[in-house]
Amino acid sequence: MRPEIIKKLKAIVGDDCVVSDETELLVYECDALTLFRNKPDVVVFVTRTEQVAAVVRLANEHKIPFLPRGSGTGLSGGAMAIAGGIVIELQRMNKILAVDVENRIAVVQPGVVNLHISQAVAQHGLYYAPDPSSQSACSIGGNVAENAGGPHCLKYGMTTNHILAVEAVLTDGSVVRLGNAAGEAIGMDLLGAIVGSEGTFAIVTEITIRLLAKPQAVKTLIAAYHSIEECSQTVSDVIAAGILPAAFEFVDAKTIEAVEASVYRAGYPRDAAAVALIEVDGFRDGLEETGNQIVEICRRNKAYEIRVAKDEEERAKLWMGRKGAFGAMGRISPDMLVMDAVIPRTRLPEVLAEIDRISERYKLPVANVFHAGDGNLHPLILFDSRQADQVDRIFAMGEEILRVCVDVGGSLSGEHGIGCEKKEYMCMVFSDADLATMLQVKAVFNPEGLLNPDKIFPTRRSCTEIGKQTTTSTAEIEKRIETVLRGNAR
Amino acid sequence: MVSPQSTEELSEILSNERGSVVPVGASTQSHFGNPLRSFDCAVDLKQLNRITEYVPADLTIHVEAGVTLGELRRTLAENRQFLPLDPWNGPTATMGGIASANSQGPYRACGSMRDWIIGMKVVEVNGKVSKTGGRVVKNVTGYDLAKLYTGSIGTLAIITEISLKVRARYERTVTAIARFETLEATETALGLIRTSSLQPVSCEWVGPEHEVWLRFGEHPRAIDWQLKNLPPAQWNVTEGPDEDAAWERLRGRFSALGPVVAKVVGLPTTMAEIVAVCNPSGWIAHALNGIVFMSVTNAADVDRIRTNHRVVVERAPLEVRKEVSTFGLSDAEYALMLRMKRAFDPEGRLNPGRHVDGER
Repeated sequence: MRPEIIKKLKAIVGDDCVVSDETELLVYECDALTLFRNKPDVVVFVTRTEQVAAVVRLANEHKIPFLPRGSGTGLSGGAMAIAGGIVIELQRMNKILAVDVENRIAVVQPGVVNLHISQAVAQHGLYYAPDPSSQSACSIGGNVAENAGGPHCLKYGMTTNHILAVEAVLTDGSVVRLGNAAGEAIGMDLLGAIVGSEGTFAIVTEITIRLLAKPQAVKTLIAAYHSIEECSQTVSDVIAAGILPAAFEFVDAKTIEAVEASVYRAGYPRDAAAVALIEVDGFRDGLEETGNQIVEICRRNKAYEIRVAKDEEERAKLWMGRKGAFGAMGRISPDMLVMDAVIPRTRLPEVLAEIDRISERYKLPVANVFHAGDGNLHPLILFDSRQADQVDRIFAMGEEILRVCVDVGGSLSGEHGIGCEKKEYMCMVFSDADLATMLQVKAVFNPEGLLNPDKIFPTRRSCTEIGKQTTTSTAEIEKRIETVLRGNAR
Repeated sequence: MVSPQSTEELSEILSNERGSVVPVGASTQSHFGNPLRSFDCAVDLKQLNRITEYVPADLTIHVEAGVTLGELRRTLAENRQFLPLDPWNGPTATMGGIASANSQGPYRACGSMRDWIIGMKVVEVNGKVSKTGGRVVKNVTGYDLAKLYTGSIGTLAIITEISLKVRARYERTVTAIARFETLEATETALGLIRTSSLQPVSCEWVGPEHEVWLRFGEHPRAIDWQLKNLPPAQWNVTEGPDEDAAWERLRGRFSALGPVVAKVVGLPTTMAEIVAVCNPSGWIAHALNGIVFMSVTNAADVDRIRTNHRVVVERAPLEVRKEVSTFGLSDAEYALMLRMKRAFDPEGRLNPGRHVDGER
């Protein structure tokens, strides 16, 4: 990065809010997807919207790539500076600006940690529903960028269903407000397009969110099975009975092994092939019956042990195993790749069996711990990054697993995003024309492609040529697709 | 007028069309949107009327744009499922039309149309077919362009297929209606509802008679609890066929609003003030969302309310829509939407004038 740019950045945010030292920049070379790394040229810590806008204008003036970053907990490389440039670190914009109890909304800055919102409004009997597993660390701005999910989006929806309005800095440095506190889209739903655009449309600097009233009562249970099929069938049967659980999580044997050997020990039966963690919530009246109905369905599917949490402490313990599962994998493997595919939930048994076969063929173990209720799989490929051949194999293996999911009508990502991790696989689900339309929209928000470049879209020449390992830059493919578009317009 | 039988046929038609193109469904929303500037080719989408796939166990259904809400409901009801929306334009409206206009009704507790769409296929004005989203209930693969198409009144692309999430029907639904003497008394009751543990799926405030309509859908015992904990008033409770008939009557009330219906977007706590200041002859409000549909007389009324509030012209005669813009966009929204329109339709041939291109 040229010294004059550093100087100008320091003039915008202050001397002590610019990091350009090579060693210090190592911290920012990746997010939670550690397999992909590239150092940014400089990181700026912003505290105000005007600073974000000024940095964006500067980046524009000098044609420098730039991208936002929150807590860096993303799992698809969304906050990784693939093309170098300026990282705009929003962690210090971490104030809850307003809580409107009666209208059940809050206005927050993007650096606020997801869980801190629920903690701050708990005294009013309210909470913020989307709860990614990283909720004690991830920022709400990152949640908006990725349209983050979590176990409870089965009943309560994803981030996009809870974002009412934003203030955003566009790629030309202008500041706009989109949406309104009523959550009513007026005209085109530009806000809806920005949520989940993986930080490639705009940088969100203020967010109005919907708060929900805490349910009167919660019932949480685990059911242990000797077979994966019986556990999977329980999901279908619960849904078929017309019950909408708040969460329905699936934990397999390998995960149980890791969890029970770790500090996240939840007391899951160690001999189980699969454990279902099921939660229902709502009014106190009627919840007991719904819980009993679920227990009955578990029994019918041959659950050999069912444990219902008696109090909040037990409930927290049951959840600890699930929420700590990714972290617990360190007990059984030096490295892991967290995958995030979605399938129609009725196809769970066959897809899990196929993943098993793929795992055997590649001689790399896979642990499965995921949101079974909405068919959102998280196969965790366990490997050792010190062994180069294993690293090569996980990519081929990951691709095969995604292919299986897509072939049953699924998708590449349910909540982690595409980022740099899965961009080459986009052609599995989208045609050249589909991607061209997406790029057409990207060009409206991000015409020069300076904001978070080289994400989401494949760098291979085209979807019809996938398989051939010809690599081109995203800029080139965008140009190519643009040519096709112009041809069509004529 | 052309009536394509499939997405591919529509694509073929549009790739040969050089004039302006107007998509048409059941025409239930023709009084919404800025006036159409010209049309050479009307595309009747009612032949696209297949339910292409329905997997009850996955809680997903995939329909062509010409499928009506009524047919969707009947199909889902066979499996005790439903789409938790009841747009004012009713069962004859097509799903494509409902999505294009982002139509809505009292059923607002579970979001609006945008929140239930999981995928879409569209045909752009040059005939290019593209899809967004997918067929699964949870998906962040690629940009969520369905959000942009929803509410764009067919000006970006013509929606031909929609994938939806659905829900199991509630074991029981019950409606409680009460009438209050004054605006203040109504506001007090609504305030109690807002801050209580009640979770109605619909909460409508109907004026000028100050009726509050609450609908509950839940476990039967949870409904009983809620009925016991209503704010003090003479509540008239109905369920079963009577209940459905009551809501159908309210839909009739909505149709009778006018001649101009302004949708004022505020907050639950500011609704009473909005109503007091605007003093409309009739209104229906989504009381838990802060959205008031009110009868006003003319364009000047809309302009006057717009000085303090966001207002969408929900329904108005052509003469009025010629005088006043439908959405009342901010400069930033206008600029972005116009760029979006031009990116999809550089020659302005698709439903010309109906959306952002007719705003100013």
